[in-house]
Formats: sequence, C-alpha cells, structure tokens
Amino acid sequence: MIPKKNPEVVWRLEKGMHEMAWGKARKDEEYEDMGVITLMIGGSIHQLNLVGAEIWTRINGVNSLKKISRDIASLFGWEEKETEEAVMQFLKGIEERGWVTLQEKAGPAGPKWQGH
Amino acid sequence: MNLSHLSSPVTVNWGITARCNFECSHCFSRLDISPELSGEEALRVVDILAGHNVMFVNYGTGEPLLREDLFPLTEYAVSCGLKATMNSNGSLISRETAGRIRRAGFHSVGISIDSADAKTHDAFRRMQGSFDMAVGAARFLKEEGVPLSISSVICRVNHRDFPALVSMAKGLGAHTIDLHNFKCSGMGGLNRENFDLSPPEWKAFYEAAIPMRRAEKGIEIAFDDPIMSLLGEEESGKLVAGSVCGKLSLYIRPDGEITPCGFIPVPIGHILKDDLGKVWNESRLLAHLRGKAAAGKCAGCGKFSSCLGGCPARSYAVHGAYDAPDPHCWADE
Repeated sequence: MIPKKNPEVVWRLEKGMHEMAWGKARKDEEYEDMGVITLMIGGSIHQLNLVGAEIWTRINGVNSLKKISRDIASLFGWEEKETEEAVMQFLKGIEERGWVTLQEKAGPAGPKWQGH
Repeated sequence: MNLSHLSSPVTVNWGITARCNFECSHCFSRLDISPELSGEEALRVVDILAGHNVMFVNYGTGEPLLREDLFPLTEYAVSCGLKATMNSNGSLISRETAGRIRRAGFHSVGISIDSADAKTHDAFRRMQGSFDMAVGAARFLKEEGVPLSISSVICRVNHRDFPALVSMAKGLGAHTIDLHNFKCSGMGGLNRENFDLSPPEWKAFYEAAIPMRRAEKGIEIAFDDPIMSLLGEEESGKLVAGSVCGKLSLYIRPDGEITPCGFIPVPIGHILKDDLGKVWNESRLLAHLRGKAAAGKCAGCGKFSSCLGGCPARSYAVHGAYDAPDPHCWADE
C-alpha cells in the first residue's frame, strides 16, 4: 500500500511548532492538540498534530505503508504492528477526505525535467 | 483538532493597486487614494510573504490587471512557492491575456459576476457591457485551462436570485462560486441603504443557501459568515471561531499598510517597515479581534462562543466598535 498526496492539497509546516511538539513529546507532556502542519484543500483548512505531520511528510508516492509505519514506530518508540494499524487508519481517514490516494504499487516516475 | 497556532497568515489579501476602470456601487476601496508600492517594493513584499510561509496571496482591491508588473510579479511569487490568485472584473481579459495569466502560474482567478441577468449586473457594477465582458473573460480563462471561480456580492439586487448565479457559474465551468456578503465599508458604507439586507433577510438567505451548498455536487458554493452559527451551521473545515480576519488572513493595502482585513481600515503595521511575524503575533488589535468580548445583545447569547460576535468589520463600520453586535445578526430581532 503506497499513499500519494493529492497535489491540490496546499500545506506548510508551522515554524517552531514541530520542534515545540517534539520537545513536549520527549518530556511525556501532551502534544496531541498542537497543530504542526496546516493544510488547505477546496477552501477548507485543517491542521495535523505531530504524529499526523510525521506521517504526512513521509507520503511521497514512493514510501509504502510499511516503511512509513516502521519510521513512525521507531520515532515514537511504539510497537510496529500496532503502529501500522494506526497509520493505516489515519491514511484511510485522509483518503476519505480526498487528501491522498492509496495505491497498491508506486506509480510511474515523473519526468526528471520538463521544459517550458 | 482546534487551531493551536499559526505561525503566520495562511492567506494574505493584497491590494496591489487601488486603480480601477470600474466604479462599482459597493466598492470598499474606491475612496482609497493611497499610493501603490513600486515594482521593486512589490517584489520585496513577495520575499517577505514567502519567507513567512504564507500559503496564498490573493490580489484584489482595484483591478489587478491595471498593474503593469502583474505578470512578472506573479511569476516571481509562484517561483517562491506562493499560490497566487486574483479577483478581476474581467474587462481586461482577452484570449491573449488569459493565456498570459495561465503562463504566469495563477492558482485560480475569480471573476466578479453579481447577477445572471446582464442588466442587473451592469447596473450594480455601473458599467454598460460589463456582464458580457465578465462572461467572456470567464470563457477565455476556462479555454486556457486557468482554474476559474465566480465571485458574487450578495446584496439587495441578487439575494433571492442566487440559484441562477450558481447555475450560470456551473455552466461557465467554475470550480467555485464565492458568495460574499455585502460589506458596508467604503462605497458600500455610503450606499448601505440601497444594497444591504436586513437581518431577517440575511437569515432567509442563509436558510436557502446552506442546504443548497450541502446538496450541490457540480460546483463548490463557498460562503463564510460567523453569524451562520445562529442556524446551527457547523463549519467542518473552519479552524477558528468567528471571523477569519486576523486569525487566518491579513490584508495589505496598496501603500503597504497591513490591516486585519480589507474592510477594517485600521493599520497595524507596514509590510516593508515592520516584521510580519511580530505584527501577526503581537498586534494589540489582532489580539483584540481573536479574543473579542461579548457586548450588547451578544452578552448572554448562547452562540457567542462560535460566532464571537460576528464580523468585526461590519460592527466597526456601523457602530465604530469591533465588539459591538454584528449589524447583520438576527438574534432577538
């Protein structure tokens, strides 16, 4: 399973918030309600917290569910199997919102360079 | 998740020029005589916005196509990662200009059409033939593959006829129709009696528009008004309570002064003289708007926590106070 971002989603990492959320996570303080990434699609605006942001930034049309899950499990010190289920649930949720598509295999690589 | 922090505005509405070839009855900026930034200064503004990770820059105020450096400025903004959009009356968009717009990399272009009836539109825009020009511009943009939206100001001339506007926008191939509520600022303030709706009429409009927005599949019907919370309308894609001005967006006047929105003519800094991050995080006016206090009939109203007293621009324009109840609010009417 390979997630691919919808190119119509416009997003940014919130300056300072990523580091601040990680600082809290490392101290076992609550970070779940901190917006780390802001996304906009179709006039609607949303935020992802630290875990969502770490997943989102790994979605590139190449990284598989397994690869992303392993990274997240390693980052947060979680069990791999449970993490994969949680990441899958997250991906299904954002697929329903139209933010990503989920493909069985990676799509063809795009051209390396396009002239004008 | 609720909004926890935005490091800078998501959208900056930028009045790159106050010049316009129209004299619309409702225009908020027609009385603005401030000088506009030079080309070099405008490029610096782009650097500042990109440096602060602003996502969208939307040109409006006057007619953006009257600005001679619009295309190189936009090409530069796009190359810096900004999504550039503009609102235009359409009168200067030929097939060739539409191609130029596409090549500049505009994310989307909004064409102002206020009625599906040409005579009504022309009268409101005070320009004979403006309807045909706007429709022609929309078609050229569509043919060129530029994402198109239609922008309409809901007021006395069209509040009962907006379904026809929606149908027309769909027919033109627009991805969105933006139904803006009439603002009593600038010429809109001077002509308020002729164009603004009464609170019960605003209620009737939203009672009709909300279900239509839910049901419509062929085009996005976009409108945003904090007082819709009186109808129990929960904005699923809305990150902040009340008005978005000063919370998700800011406005830059043609002369570079920053205001919370185009309809609140109160400078809180200058884009070239002050640090945007500092203005965003430390402006006392923005802090006031983000933490509005309930005043008048808002005190004790059960909806205050979601509408935050409605649109502060309307309150300021009519009552001279941001915290005053929104003049469009129908609660206790």
